[in-house]
Amino acid sequence: MAANPELREQLEQAIAANKVLLLMKGTPEMPRCGFSMRSVGVLEQLGVEYGAIDVLPAMGPLREVTGEISDWQTFPQLYVDGELLGGCDIIEEMHASGELAETLGVSQPEGEPQTQADSSDSRAPTQSPPLQIET
Amino acid sequence: MIAAALPGASVEVVDETGGGDHLRAIVEAPQFDGVKTIDQHRMIRAAVKPRMDDGAIHALSITTRVAAR
Repeated sequence: MAANPELREQLEQAIAANKVLLLMKGTPEMPRCGFSMRSVGVLEQLGVEYGAIDVLPAMGPLREVTGEISDWQTFPQLYVDGELLGGCDIIEEMHASGELAETLGVSQPEGEPQTQADSSDSRAPTQSPPLQIET
Repeated sequence: MIAAALPGASVEVVDETGGGDHLRAIVEAPQFDGVKTIDQHRMIRAAVKPRMDDGAIHALSITTRVAAR
């Protein structure tokens, strides 16, 4: 079955409109999956501005859309400059190597990269408001 | 299945939960040279797709390294 064309167009617009876009389960404030939470943690450590879409309200249809546009059907998914960079494994691997900071054009935080966000670190992340996709 | 798709690759599969369906694949393959990480993962997912589709594998974490040719 082909993906819903309207949903596909909405997602493509969101990817084009956000230099950094995370498709995740839940929201950055309240992730609903450990992998999504870890991905948010990496982005917040880097202090990068990003958009987020909660896929849970339309996960099945969105899976079909991302299968078509990116050949990838699991969430989270991190898009940078219109291209899928990867899921949680790749995000953490690229974060550990410093490649992610380089790709995003930010400086690697001091010290060892951590895989969990430290919530006591009070620097608030710059972040665009979460986007909602209605179906 | 991964080794068949990527001849010459060294493949290690770890059962992360003991249940047999949450797996981690650590793959070192010469074919990864010059290939973006995401495309390396796509190659592995494509190789195991039948097992993902039939539900035998529920979750697959992937770690890739480039092997020297």
